[in-house]
Amino acid sequence: MEDKIAELMAKVAELEASSGVTNTMFAETYYYLTIPLMIIIHAGFLAYEMGSSRAKNVLSSGVKNILAFAFMIPTFWFFGWWVYWGFPTGLTFSEGAMGISGAEYASAIAWGWGDSAQYMGPNIADNASGVFFGAFALFAATTASIMSGAVIERIQTVGFVILAIVLGSFAWVVAAAWGWHADGWLVTKFGAHDFGAAGLVHAVAGFFALGVLINLGPRIGKFNADGSANHIAGHNMPLTVTGLMLIIVGFWGFLMACVIVPGEAWSWYGDKMSTIYGTPITLSALSFNILMGVAGGIIGAWIWTKDPFWMMSGALAGIISTASGLDIYYPALAFIIAFSAGVILQPCANWLERRGIDDAVGAVTVHGTIGLYGLILLGVFGAGYPALDIPDAPTVSLFGQIVAAVVFFLLGFVPGYVVSFILKQMNMLRVPEHAEVAGMDTTKVPAQGYPEGIVASPAASD
Amino acid sequence: MGFPYDEAAWSVVDGAMFMGWGTAMPGVYTAIAAAVCAYVLWAGNKSEHKQFDKKK
Repeated sequence: MEDKIAELMAKVAELEASSGVTNTMFAETYYYLTIPLMIIIHAGFLAYEMGSSRAKNVLSSGVKNILAFAFMIPTFWFFGWWVYWGFPTGLTFSEGAMGISGAEYASAIAWGWGDSAQYMGPNIADNASGVFFGAFALFAATTASIMSGAVIERIQTVGFVILAIVLGSFAWVVAAAWGWHADGWLVTKFGAHDFGAAGLVHAVAGFFALGVLINLGPRIGKFNADGSANHIAGHNMPLTVTGLMLIIVGFWGFLMACVIVPGEAWSWYGDKMSTIYGTPITLSALSFNILMGVAGGIIGAWIWTKDPFWMMSGALAGIISTASGLDIYYPALAFIIAFSAGVILQPCANWLERRGIDDAVGAVTVHGTIGLYGLILLGVFGAGYPALDIPDAPTVSLFGQIVAAVVFFLLGFVPGYVVSFILKQMNMLRVPEHAEVAGMDTTKVPAQGYPEGIVASPAASD
Repeated sequence: MGFPYDEAAWSVVDGAMFMGWGTAMPGVYTAIAAAVCAYVLWAGNKSEHKQFDKKK
């Protein structure tokens, strides 16, 4: 009998070990797959920016965009990952209640040297660090790319890359540490909730771009002497619109990566998925609400503009306006909010333009204004939800969401303005006038976007 | 509206967890969303026909 029990126990242990391996492999694969999905966001940004550029600048816009992506990865590895784990409790760098934050903790898991280097490279006993790092590095690259579109056709390459690094590997990461971490002070003290990063990614990036645009100035020919604006059309609207659709595709990966899968030592639950705050979520919730958000944004922008550029920007605005509460919105409510975001999109962009800001792709409005709009609306509709899954958790409130909105605005705008101001003083911000007039491709890119022009080929005859 | 359970704790949630669950609000939102779609189709059609007439 005892032999039988021992045999049974051994079988149970074997089964447990086997299911543990399956779970670990699932978790690792889950986050691994979010990375190529998020790279589709970059394919989208690349197409979108190049299409929005005039033909004389098409390749230089592409070069800038590709470089932002490339520099974001190593700089996020050098220090961005440390910032996320080191900053949650604020500038004290102390350990939070969950024990997964503070300078000491960050230095133990997120530095590329010393003992902590074991978590920053291949390690047969660690199936999590690399895929988490990868997903966050792609969040960083997305954030930098949001700013990239606003400044096309007149920014210097290296100056831009420096700004991208400040935004992607530092500014938004501080916002994420404060408002997107179980020890983040905006969460633990104010109950801030921003599941899909409407504020801490989109608003930070949008208002960082605004700070840069103030110092960068408009493109030559954008404004007339009386202050009225001219529309500078990109050379390829179909490419722009397709790029926007690719960004929507990639967002499924972005939002999927915002979910914590169950059953691992670092999971919140053994049996269900959670948000980064430990509050429950399902992929079904995302499926309902992302789709309704995209649809609402497109329809809202169509009724106001009838313009495919704004309609696809409306799709983005639809997701961004609902992103904070994709885990808890009712789909019909998500549709209504997204619709309203689509409607207000172009008027908000026009308002900014009337103030002399030349945002070539509407990034400040789509990401900045709509990001804060969505963050604050969650405080209206979602007040009372527990912000963390811990006893006596703080609850979501309008006040808490407004505090988070102000903090995210400042975390974007201030570094964007200050660093671009310094770059301007160092003559590293804007290209010379003659280069801008001639076209940046002719000036600095040793390749041609359309060497044969765009010519119609004759149809084959019988 | 807010959290659809009496106690503000996730431990009491065992099913639907969206805003308005257990009240009439989901139905109200559904009606508004449907009305928005219908209005947009009506207004969009009207506006398109206006353009057709303008370009005659």
